Amino acid sequence: MNGRKIAVAVLAVIFAILAPSLVFAEPNGREIIDNVYNRPTGKDVRSKMTMTLVNSRGATRERVIDQYLKDYGETEKMVMFFLSPADVRDTSFMNWSYDDGRDEDQWIYLPALKRVKRISSDSKGDYFMGSDFTYDDLGDRHPSEDEHRLLRMESIGNDTVYVVESIPREDDYLYSRTVTWVVKDKWIGLKKEFYDEDGDLLKTLDIRNVEKISGYWVLTDLEMHNVQENHTTNIILSDVRLDSGVSDDMFSERRMRR
Amino acid sequence: MKFAKCILIGAFLIAALPGGLMAQDLELNGWVRNYTGVLTGADGEFSIVQNALDLEMGLAMENAGFLVNPFIYQSPGEDLDIGLREAYLDVYTGPADIRIGKQQIIWGKAEGVFITDVVSPKDLTEFLLPDFDEIRIGVTALKTDVYLGYHTFEVVWIPVFVSTIQPVSDSLWAPAFPFQVPARINPTEEFDPRIENTELFAKYSYLGAFADFELMGGYFWDDDPTPHITDRTFSGSELTAIEITPRHHRLGLIGGSFSMAPAGVVLRGEGGYYTGKFFPTADPADADGVVERDFINYAAGIDLAPFGLIVSGQLIQRIILAYDDAILSDQVDNLVTLLVADDFLRETLRAEVFAYIGLNNPNALLRPKIVYDIKDGLDIEAGANVFLGNEGQFGQFDENDMIFAKLTYSF
Repeated sequence: MNGRKIAVAVLAVIFAILAPSLVFAEPNGREIIDNVYNRPTGKDVRSKMTMTLVNSRGATRERVIDQYLKDYGETEKMVMFFLSPADVRDTSFMNWSYDDGRDEDQWIYLPALKRVKRISSDSKGDYFMGSDFTYDDLGDRHPSEDEHRLLRMESIGNDTVYVVESIPREDDYLYSRTVTWVVKDKWIGLKKEFYDEDGDLLKTLDIRNVEKISGYWVLTDLEMHNVQENHTTNIILSDVRLDSGVSDDMFSERRMRR
Repeated sequence: MKFAKCILIGAFLIAALPGGLMAQDLELNGWVRNYTGVLTGADGEFSIVQNALDLEMGLAMENAGFLVNPFIYQSPGEDLDIGLREAYLDVYTGPADIRIGKQQIIWGKAEGVFITDVVSPKDLTEFLLPDFDEIRIGVTALKTDVYLGYHTFEVVWIPVFVSTIQPVSDSLWAPAFPFQVPARINPTEEFDPRIENTELFAKYSYLGAFADFELMGGYFWDDDPTPHITDRTFSGSELTAIEITPRHHRLGLIGGSFSMAPAGVVLRGEGGYYTGKFFPTADPADADGVVERDFINYAAGIDLAPFGLIVSGQLIQRIILAYDDAILSDQVDNLVTLLVADDFLRETLRAEVFAYIGLNNPNALLRPKIVYDIKDGLDIEAGANVFLGNEGQFGQFDENDMIFAKLTYSF
């Protein structure tokens, strides 16, 4: 038995001893968030989004939007058509985002101006239509932009969840840290807490309903509560269709104008 | 009577819907507004007291659609102003969209100025103060857009020329008269709606990740008539009066525009080369007081978002070619526009200042305003129009500084 064979035999024994524990080891924070990020969501999605804003006095405002999204691999295209309130009806907004880190391209069509206008995409920290969601909250933040750490495991209802803390690598990000509750094996975020630059709790996101549509898990009822302002935004997705073959033509000036 | 006609037209449109379509398929929306303005330098005289209704009735089907947009403006002591802002039919066939009827057509990338945006004429009854969708006049046109991926080819044919509407001579907004002696002004010369008097525009545009751009051309009538001197009165050898006859002239235009957003900053540009424009001249040897010159008009703009603000600036320059000193307009006219805006209270309150600044004869129009959403669809707006300088496009209205309020309900 030469030296090489001995080494292989020793490695085989070590693997045999360690294998069961490797199989049952829990993933680390980065792996959990990677799994959430890479969870299949379909090649295209169309849905109606109803967003209800509730302020601290209980007054409500409602925005209704038709949205279409299509994944082209390196590029993701999204277009929104605003249905209400009346003063923004027929406005449309289009966003193209890129995996290679390029700035997003964005356009808006305002019916009063009757033209499609390119706008600056440097507004990730802005709140979307006065809601409690920033543009960044609604986007796909890449896992590599944060340091992730598995804090603990908990049970919520019948689900086992991982509790993962994420701290941004950049200094001036919107939040000092976030904590996400992720359902084991489904890789769905059920809850998320957002902490401000002083480390105080700013917002909580609760997922109130998840549906399996066309074989994909879809978050269809979300509520974001700004605990510092006591302001809440509820988003309900309806008429959700995945992999329905959204046409490339949907992400064009022609559709934005029509 | 006009109002009754509007009602009848609306009823006819609903009744005439194709079989299978119900009235509930028809989309009906619009706005109602009160707009009150007070001159600050004239003992509280109202510059405007206006109630308005704007209705949009439309239907969008798979391969066709239509829209009718009547409006009514009412001011105390004046006749109702009733009209159709737009009324058109759409046909969608393969890669082509065809729109026929009265429509507003907007081109170019510049904001608040008209460089290649010359298809729809303007209603300048209240200068540049109304919202731009109220300034533009719809033209009856056949417009065809052919879409090939992100490329668009557009052709517009306007069979009957429509002129810009100028303020009446005793209006607050009547422009300063360019000649030094009294004048008798004839009505603008009209011409028959014939095939040779039609207007034609064409445009190619591209929308893409790197940049958007347009190339355009047009052969059309100057929306603003040129004041020709058609008679002179002398006392001895001294010119004491002139007779003016406004005439429209054919213009040719080639131009283009672009916008791109490197590093989150939007850069915009737009320019056009015009032929056939007539300019008033002081040359005593010139019989009709105008000379024909080509000119270039362009704008360069930038949109920024520093500290969460919306900041937008443009430099607009018009250069008259083959210039001579007798021409009453400057050879190079420089204008700057500036917008600074911000949103507050979860986008329910918007504060902005928009300014036109003429650099040749320093003069400006400052337009600060705040708009508050009382509730969804109900807005209140308060602002001011402040004219600075004594002459120039804006300084000539120095006496017309005003504050105003608007209450608008959209439905």
